[in-house]
Amino acid sequence: MDDVESELGMVNYVMAALTEENTDAAEQVAALATLCDVLAVSEDGLSGVFPISEFVAHLPRLVATGEGDVPIFAARAIAEACEGVPLWAKNFTRFGAVEALRDRLVAIDDIELAEECLRALNAISHECPALCLRLGVAAVVLQFFHFFSTSKQKVVLRIVDNVLNNYRTEDAPKAMEAVPGLCNLLQSSADKTILASVVSCLEMVSAGASGSAKHMNMLCELNAVDTMMKLVKNNGWKNLSDDTLSGIFGLLTNLASVSERAMESLFEFNIFDLLKQMITYYTLSHWDSNKVQMLVGLIYHLVPPCQNSDHQNQLIIAKKQVIIEQSRYTEQLASILTLIIQVAKSVGRSSICYSCVVFIKNIVELTTPDFLMEVQKTANLASFLACLLARKNRHVIFQTLDVSKALLKKHHQFFIEAFIKEGVKHAVDTIQAREKDAKSIHKKKRRNNLQEICLCFDLDSVTSSTYEACRIENMAILKLAEEINKNLLAKGSTRSPNVIGYVSKSIRYLSALLNGHAMGPPAENQNLGKQLSEFSRQLLSDELSSTSTFELVQSESIKHLAGYLSNGAYFNSKVKNCQDLTGQLTEVQNRLQKFAYLALTVENESSEKPLGILVEKLIDALHTCYDSFPVILDDEQCTRDNAMIPLRHSSTEEPALLYLKLSRSSGEMGLKDYDDVFPVYLYSTPESVEDDLFPDICIRTDRDSAACKETTQEASGSGKSDGFRDGDGHRSSKLTHSYKGRELQPSVPFLESILLSMHEGQSDIKVDPSFWDKEHKIVYRRNKSKKISPHSSYHAQLSCMHEKLEMALLKDPFFSTTLTGKLPGDLDESDPSYNFLFMLKVLEGLNRFPYHLSMCENIYKFAEGYIQDLDGLKVTISPIPRHQFVSSLLTNKLELQMQDTLFEDGFIPSWGVYLVENCPFLLSFEARWKYFCLTLRYSFMSGEVSGPSETEKYRVLRSNILEEAESMMNKHGSDTRMIEVEFIEEMGTGRGPTVEFYSTVSHGLQRAGLGMWRGDNTRQEECEASFVHAPFGLFPQPWTSAKTSSQGISFSDVLQKFKLLGHLVARAILDGRILDIPLSKAFYKVMLEQELDIYDIPSFDPTLGKAVIEFHALVKRKKFLETSLERTSNLAADLSYKNVSLEDLCLDFTLPGNPEYELVPGGSEKMVTLDTLEEYVSSVADATLSSGISKQIEAFKSGIDEVFDLKALQMFSEDEMERILCGEQDAWTSYKLEDHIDFEHGYDVNSPSVINFLEILREFGREDQRAFLQFTTGAPQLPLGGLASLHPRLTVVRKQCDGKVDDELPSVSTCRHFIKLPPYSSKEIMRQKLKYALAEGLDSFHLS
Amino acid sequence: MYMEGSGKKEVMALRRIIKELKDMQRDPPTSCSAGPVSDDMFHWQATIMGPSDSPYSGGVFLVTIHFPPDYPFKPPKVAFKTKVFHPNINSNGNICLDILKDQWSPALTISKVLLSICSLLTDPNPDDPLVPEIAHMCKSDRFRYESTARSWTQKYAMG
Repeated sequence: MDDVESELGMVNYVMAALTEENTDAAEQVAALATLCDVLAVSEDGLSGVFPISEFVAHLPRLVATGEGDVPIFAARAIAEACEGVPLWAKNFTRFGAVEALRDRLVAIDDIELAEECLRALNAISHECPALCLRLGVAAVVLQFFHFFSTSKQKVVLRIVDNVLNNYRTEDAPKAMEAVPGLCNLLQSSADKTILASVVSCLEMVSAGASGSAKHMNMLCELNAVDTMMKLVKNNGWKNLSDDTLSGIFGLLTNLASVSERAMESLFEFNIFDLLKQMITYYTLSHWDSNKVQMLVGLIYHLVPPCQNSDHQNQLIIAKKQVIIEQSRYTEQLASILTLIIQVAKSVGRSSICYSCVVFIKNIVELTTPDFLMEVQKTANLASFLACLLARKNRHVIFQTLDVSKALLKKHHQFFIEAFIKEGVKHAVDTIQAREKDAKSIHKKKRRNNLQEICLCFDLDSVTSSTYEACRIENMAILKLAEEINKNLLAKGSTRSPNVIGYVSKSIRYLSALLNGHAMGPPAENQNLGKQLSEFSRQLLSDELSSTSTFELVQSESIKHLAGYLSNGAYFNSKVKNCQDLTGQLTEVQNRLQKFAYLALTVENESSEKPLGILVEKLIDALHTCYDSFPVILDDEQCTRDNAMIPLRHSSTEEPALLYLKLSRSSGEMGLKDYDDVFPVYLYSTPESVEDDLFPDICIRTDRDSAACKETTQEASGSGKSDGFRDGDGHRSSKLTHSYKGRELQPSVPFLESILLSMHEGQSDIKVDPSFWDKEHKIVYRRNKSKKISPHSSYHAQLSCMHEKLEMALLKDPFFSTTLTGKLPGDLDESDPSYNFLFMLKVLEGLNRFPYHLSMCENIYKFAEGYIQDLDGLKVTISPIPRHQFVSSLLTNKLELQMQDTLFEDGFIPSWGVYLVENCPFLLSFEARWKYFCLTLRYSFMSGEVSGPSETEKYRVLRSNILEEAESMMNKHGSDTRMIEVEFIEEMGTGRGPTVEFYSTVSHGLQRAGLGMWRGDNTRQEECEASFVHAPFGLFPQPWTSAKTSSQGISFSDVLQKFKLLGHLVARAILDGRILDIPLSKAFYKVMLEQELDIYDIPSFDPTLGKAVIEFHALVKRKKFLETSLERTSNLAADLSYKNVSLEDLCLDFTLPGNPEYELVPGGSEKMVTLDTLEEYVSSVADATLSSGISKQIEAFKSGIDEVFDLKALQMFSEDEMERILCGEQDAWTSYKLEDHIDFEHGYDVNSPSVINFLEILREFGREDQRAFLQFTTGAPQLPLGGLASLHPRLTVVRKQCDGKVDDELPSVSTCRHFIKLPPYSSKEIMRQKLKYALAEGLDSFHLS
Repeated sequence: MYMEGSGKKEVMALRRIIKELKDMQRDPPTSCSAGPVSDDMFHWQATIMGPSDSPYSGGVFLVTIHFPPDYPFKPPKVAFKTKVFHPNINSNGNICLDILKDQWSPALTISKVLLSICSLLTDPNPDDPLVPEIAHMCKSDRFRYESTARSWTQKYAMG
């Protein structure tokens, strides 16, 4: 109470000082200062007591008319008052506070006063934005933006933000006044936060004025469009923050939707080019569906809908004129249309697809038939329509039908032909039939159509606020389909092209020919062979490219091809009990060889390889199976920041659970009831819960209790790998579960099965929040059919054979897929995607082994005398690029799924798991990398997963780096914390030295004399302490098991080094470090647990490899001659090695280059002759690829396995592994440099020193680049993604020099990637100094 | 350096090298000769007589040969010690010849290599040059190339 009273006393005093006429300024100031103090400390509670109303009238007056410091304190008092009790703001405005403050600002005679005014206005504008807007506050504060300090500039922007937030349309003219100031700011400011807020202010201006074309046109006149475009063009958008970007595009969309003028100037700016770049970027390399949605939204608004109603008609006509009459925009339109078709086809979100189709419809309506015919020829509109019509989403189907109708109206004859060829007509027929069925069912039972999310209003969200019913009525699709069929398609040409029949016939004929060719000995049907290759060439290269995907599928050509390649196994649903497995094996291999040759040879250089065309069609066909790969999203829209992929993600929160209400199937006597609710993880499958569930429900008879025990043991054994299934782990399950009478697949998560069954017929599922609270009824019963599938016995046979097989090709999963004619796992073979997946799997495998297949074929030919000379063994075919196998749709779908919170909670759709394990080639590398990062935590060996920022620090001695690293890694073990390294007696700490540690250790492992790598012992004469030179990459040197040491190197040391390498590899992946070690492709294959055979030897040792393969061919010829009936007279001459007898080669049974390694006991005395050649070849191959290196490989793998499960890496190819571990091969290409280097503290892109610097960098060779990177970042290679993904960005700053500039050296801060560059007087001096620093700076942190 | 001790280890290579030496002694190739420099069987020296139908005619060219430990699976290293003016031989004596690189085969021997070098002297391959300047001269001004080669031969390879 005392406080209040004393305050009241003070108030009276202040009041007196302020109101009396003749108090002088000093007294007023003192009084105001007191008032400010009181207000500053007072809490909200004061508002009741404090008689602010007394001051309300006076303070504004004092601001306006006071002298000296009076206005400053008066303004501060207003600010304090309004900040303390926001409600007072209104009272102040009644007495002209805003005007007074504004005028003071305009006068700007005192910076301190101006700052106080800002503060007061900030508080007031928050409460009375409309008034402030009308009084022109926004424009005024912006006018003096640059007078203020950075912190006050933020206040300015906050005021503008307050004022413009949700302003009323009638105030639009006032809002426009702020626009020039904002635009100026955009051009002059580089600060990212300022940019973001300015852009958001502008967006608010446009949002408020969006009702009025006049005001929007005014916005254009004020250069809003130009300013925005300047920000984003020339890749400027890549540097903008997400908020800024969405602000800019929100503004542009607002403008374009209302103002034809804005649209025209956007066209002038080549907006479509920009959009194309951006969409490509966000759909291909930096996947982000929200951005795509935003961009597609703008595109939609650029091209107006035609039959839109009433009030916008004028605008539409105006826009139409812009587009149509300006023929120069046609090209832009065509190219964006092509892109949009691609996007619509491959996007995983139906809402985006819908927007795209609506856009396409608008374009179709607007443009001429000629234009559309051209688009059909280049982008195949019809095929696209057919693809979309195969989907289930009714909104998409409806719009697509609409587009089809519109196209037929535009040019009937032309499009009807296209529609028949590409399958649109077929699709329309199917839809019509399906809808008719639905209608008849519908009569009996009301079909629930609500489950599909309505997409009609997504695009119009700006204008339509009222809720309308979905535009698509129940019968609309049927009506539309009937209309198309009746009016348009039916009166189409009667000459129905008979292409389908023809293609089918051709393929069948080809199959027959190939069959014949493969069966008989080639000698007898050389004619047939010739005929065959001519025919197949004609078919594969000429006809295939002109055949539509629809025809290819409809003619069943794919099935015929699959049947042929698998030697009929594909057609036999039951695998024949293959007595003659070897025969089948040889036959399939033979067919693959023949087909590989046909599919990978081209007539002339320019044409595409038949395999490429076939794969493209298959991918296209796969994309018609949109609904086979359902994406399940949680209701809340939560998108993860793409840049932050939590490798060490540990779920600190409780994992999300799904509640199952389990009950026993009626009549199931063998099991007990389960009374409780059974919570499962989101990733739990019937298979994975069985071990937990079964003991609780089985009735313990003697037999069963044994079974129970068994399962519990199994359960404890399998332990933590719950989240991941083994690749081929199909146990026969004891239980069968069902949901709503439908049996659940054992390997599909409960969550997925239940949701799919709830949302019948849909593939974009949003989980309703209520779903999580429900208990879901699952019925279980004993699995009666205790069948062991015929496949498993077949596989068992096959794996027995594997031991005997020498060719890696035959052990590859793709080969057993072909051989069995069946994809691995329990895929639904009736699913439309099955055939395509099967064929793609086979072709992708074939494409990985062209060298093997072709060489094998050549060796047969040589053996049988069709190739005379060993020099004829050349392989001439090469594979198609692997990226051709990537399906953009599946990649997008997986990306979409991964972005959702469900994925973070552990839910992976079964198709996702399947594709990653069995068909990783269908997914882009980026998507798989993300998948790897997000799922790696399931593969960690340590139970505890540390947070992303936890680090463990180690100190190591540079001079003893390998031993230090070894003990450090062993100590760190399976710990998942980041490793941070410092070098003892050096100054650097943090990221730089850690990065250098990895490259130093990887260099250390390449030192000569370690006995690790091939080629280590060959060049001792040249190099003392230097490195192993392996131009084809490092591959382990074989060690004979007979010796534990050689030349002073002990084998156990070698093994330790390999283990260290394994540790290093695992840590580099986990911590995102880069190794500088050129491992061979073959070694990467080993890392990925792929098999190697003699055909891999040339990849790391070409001369040895060639000789071994030639020997192998000789062995085959010898065998052929021995078995063939007609003995050739000069057998010995035929079997010479390039006219030299084998004995003359003087080879003994020791490993080439390693005479201590005896391939057989006493091998150094055993000579290689024609009779022992076979043994020699296989033992050399065995020593080189298997037994000689198996211990090293084991040690290496155990190093990785200590940290995480090696299996997790198998979704990558050997090239991708290299990319992950060693970063990009090319450090930079010249155009990227400015984009990815920042210039600060006295430099910008135009500084002469910077221009010189960039020129010097561009002139650097690979070695200099590596040195430069080593100098500035601590590692000689850039991380994945090159300079662009260097974090922090490489920054060049001006070095302040006291003495002579040209005597200074550049210096760096490796952890921040800063290079401090003195402004040298010439380019030459700069180059000298840089090179000097690079040379001196290596290997030491003393310079920093 | 492969001293006696290290030489012994490469038994296979050694066996083969000794055989080649014997073969050469028994059936010496025309216009060349070769043999080990000292005790080290892995280091040979050879002489090549300039082919009579070439500008190198009359010259005697010294060539060093180093056998790798994994001979005959890796090619020997062969280099001229005598200076030669030739588009496929550089100033260090390195020879650009496919059989000494990726076209090597265990079926080849030193005597075959030396013969190939002889024929390279007769028929230079300016399309795949080691010394582009000489290659250019060889193609554009054959006469000048031959006279320069002749004068070099006189200067360095005679006496």
